[in-house]
Amino acid sequence: MDHLTPATRLSSDEIFVVLKQFITEVIGAEFADGLDISKDSTFTRDLEMDSIELVAFSEKVKQHFGTGIDFTGWLSNMDIDQLIALNLNNIIQYIQQCQ
Amino acid sequence: MPVIKLTSNTTLHYQEMNRGAAETIVLIHGMMSNLSVFYFNIAPMLAQRYHVVLYDLKGHGLSSKCTWGYHLQGMAADLIQLLDALHLRQVHVAGYSYGALIALQTAVSYPERIQQLVAIEAPDPFEQQTLARIDAYSKSALLEQIAAAGKAQGKPMSKRQLERNYNLYHFLLKQTTLQQDMLAEKDFMQQPGIDRLLHNTLLLYGTDSPCASTGKQLLRKIPNAQLAWLAGDHHIPVQQPFQVGSSINSFLQPRENRIHHFQPSATSIGVETPGWNLAM
Repeated sequence: MDHLTPATRLSSDEIFVVLKQFITEVIGAEFADGLDISKDSTFTRDLEMDSIELVAFSEKVKQHFGTGIDFTGWLSNMDIDQLIALNLNNIIQYIQQCQ
Repeated sequence: MPVIKLTSNTTLHYQEMNRGAAETIVLIHGMMSNLSVFYFNIAPMLAQRYHVVLYDLKGHGLSSKCTWGYHLQGMAADLIQLLDALHLRQVHVAGYSYGALIALQTAVSYPERIQQLVAIEAPDPFEQQTLARIDAYSKSALLEQIAAAGKAQGKPMSKRQLERNYNLYHFLLKQTTLQQDMLAEKDFMQQPGIDRLLHNTLLLYGTDSPCASTGKQLLRKIPNAQLAWLAGDHHIPVQQPFQVGSSINSFLQPRENRIHHFQPSATSIGVETPGWNLAM
């Protein structure tokens, strides 16, 4: 799933599939299989990811979607409460805005 | 994830931002933590101007486990191996808490590799309660995170997150030489190298920090040091990430671009140099 910079605009569902795969890779399939991962899932509360796992996830997003999105820059404007409340839909919307 | 392999066979996980910038700053996290303390806010701010390198100390984050070598000389040697692997001859360095001690030790042991130095909330290893404080700090950081999560979403930290944190504590405190390595550092502040540091040094502390006296002590010892205060306690990188980033950015600016010496960020509440005190 590395370096697949999309040539065409991806739908919300297509981006979700990619992000869900990244989450599974970061937290492990065994744990991910027991989770109901949806677009509304928050990383901290629902998916129980900790901060270093969010870093790993973030790096996968950056590598996959390339320089067309400034994912780290976007995250950097968030305070800790906003990071804790971040869900998949927030990221999907951001990626769609950048396409 | 990018890693380098140390001569001890331990691997260090690192991240880079804005590779290719003229100057590099390396960020060193504290004990029981990982590079994420800088990754989301402080590092991107610094990356607008600098090549930023963040890494997980051995035994922490996504670096591999290691049961020995947590003394400051060993941790400084790890940092030099990272710089060598990345072909970085000279860098700015900013460390937080235990990471600040590593930054100071690296400047003492390898002065030619360091340009300017930022020590955020460096504790004094001599104080008997330092280890307890490190332990307490991490526990309180964990509690803060739980409180923040509770505030935002009405639920405490998950069992999995607590378990992962507990495993890290247990490994480092019970299965490694970390505690005895830190006890062996009790004379760290008295080593002559600290008094002879010639690097421009920013000491950054929280106004309510239990380590504040160490900041004042370092200010007296390091000839080119200045001490700046931010509202908060030992956790200022978490409590005030934007102000910490802004303060470091302001401090690192080329001298010709500075109006005076160091301009504290708009929200910092004060800066001291050995002979004077501004805006306290």
